[in-house]
Amino acid sequence: MKIVICAKQVLDPDAVDNYVLVGKLEIGDDGKTLTQKSIPRLMNGYDEQAIECALRLRDGGVDCKIHVVSLATDPTKMLQHAVAMGADEVATIPVDTGTVDGYATASLLAGFVKSLGGADLVLCGRQASDGDQAVVPALLGEMLEMPVVTIARAVEMVDGSTVRITRVTPDGDEIVEVSCPAVITISNEFGAPRYPTGMRTMKARKVKPQQVTPDSLSLGEGGGQPRVTMTRQFVEPITGSCEFLQGDSPAAAAQNLVKRLRDERVIE
Amino acid sequence: MSNSVVVCTWDQGREGLPAGAEETLTLARNLAASAGLELNWLVAGPAPDRVPEIAGKYGVVHLDRIEDSKLADFQPDVCVEALAQYCEEHAPKLVLIPQTFDARLVAPRLAARAGAGVVMNALELAVEGRTVKVTASAYGGDTRVVYELTGAESCVVGVLADMLLADAPQGGASEPAVRQVSVDLGAVEERVRVIQKAHFEGPRLEEAQVIVAGGMGLGEKKNFQLIEDLAQALGGMAAASRPVVENGWIDSSRQVGLTGKITRPVLYLGAGIAGASQHMVGCTAAKTIVAINKDPDAAIFKYARYGIVGDAMEILPEITKAVKGA
Repeated sequence: MKIVICAKQVLDPDAVDNYVLVGKLEIGDDGKTLTQKSIPRLMNGYDEQAIECALRLRDGGVDCKIHVVSLATDPTKMLQHAVAMGADEVATIPVDTGTVDGYATASLLAGFVKSLGGADLVLCGRQASDGDQAVVPALLGEMLEMPVVTIARAVEMVDGSTVRITRVTPDGDEIVEVSCPAVITISNEFGAPRYPTGMRTMKARKVKPQQVTPDSLSLGEGGGQPRVTMTRQFVEPITGSCEFLQGDSPAAAAQNLVKRLRDERVIE
Repeated sequence: MSNSVVVCTWDQGREGLPAGAEETLTLARNLAASAGLELNWLVAGPAPDRVPEIAGKYGVVHLDRIEDSKLADFQPDVCVEALAQYCEEHAPKLVLIPQTFDARLVAPRLAARAGAGVVMNALELAVEGRTVKVTASAYGGDTRVVYELTGAESCVVGVLADMLLADAPQGGASEPAVRQVSVDLGAVEERVRVIQKAHFEGPRLEEAQVIVAGGMGLGEKKNFQLIEDLAQALGGMAAASRPVVENGWIDSSRQVGLTGKITRPVLYLGAGIAGASQHMVGCTAAKTIVAINKDPDAAIFKYARYGIVGDAMEILPEITKAVKGA
């Protein structure tokens, strides 16, 4: 079985959040790029869980080759981490993600999957924690003519070519089945990805991801050109005016609050 | 390419309207007015009761109906095919879809079929000159980004209706002309088979009027009881931040946040919650936010109306007592 995971390199969203909370997020002269050099780049958390999904399938007895591909100018360290986790092959499509939208990204990834002769499963994180757009997997499904199942918390093979997936919906769990080939997106409920041993991490440092240029890929109609362009990014100031309620004791502060909420008819 | 903006819904929603319909119509109506576009509403499947009334209220010109029996319940391949055929026939400039769970899958798939661009998490829309501009949420709600439609003639937009307010216009009501749209769904077979449907009984967090939420500041699972006690005393629901849910202190249906539930209660009380934007996106639409946190610099205080700096473990039970009138 051939499994392809699409992994995005993102700025650490927790670090971005911390800078925003103290009002110090830097946005560059282009009005959109986050420029703080101190914010680390790492693999999109949901994508790491997608790799974990493939590894659990393998652990469960599925004979598979696991490919991880990333669109980025230099995701080497991130892809080495994927190898250390257990991926068999890793590839980079050297493109600056600032120059592509979801449609162009999906075109390149679909081209890559086609260059492998197709795949049985394409696994993606449910969304990238920078853009949050969550469109690439669905677009991939259309381009590769594969069904798309989103927001998976569990994935298992029922037989050689049927997958059973538990999805997290607002109304609780839904269980579906789909025949391979299929695109599946993984949600945080899937569980923590394995942490590779020091030994595996060291060994993986020798791995050089295969470089796959856009020119070498067949990109379908439109040649994979972006349809939308991000022109601006900004932080909206939070204008709150919090009234701090005090008291000599927790009880006094609490009573103060309840009285206030009753006076304002927020509660009975 | 027609000069139209189409709001597109297919679910039955609750109380006679599809989820997010009014909020999306508000956005669409304002855009149609400022950009000189025709406002239409495509309702696929059975039409919820209040659709004609609300369509008129928002000045919808055409109420487009696809009534094929295959659309009785949501099925993704069928839904995408029906909408794609509509777009093929009517060529709307913009398709606005309230961003429900199912819409997150349908919107980009429809865009691919229709040769359109797609932008999700939209909060604002404008047409400046001939350029379509969509302002969307990014970085878990920390930033706003503006996308311009540059490489396609039309765009599908997922609207974060949960975070917007409906604002029905005064006057300007219309008598929408109903158009029956026929589609051919004979060749579509659903490729994803539902083995076990999602089943939810009980109160929905999205509809709760009072929410008491706890974060990791509570320390351990047993302390979460204080949240449950206060929620009960107030006649509301207990909820939590994502790390709390991931630690198994409470079921994931109670997770508030961008990847959880977006709530709009009258009262949202957050205890031991720092206020990361991922979480706050799930409750900023609350009428009154109260925060309890040991850290006076916690971000949640920037969003809150009232705050108490202190130990949630001590303060929560006191609030419960005061509520009960003890």
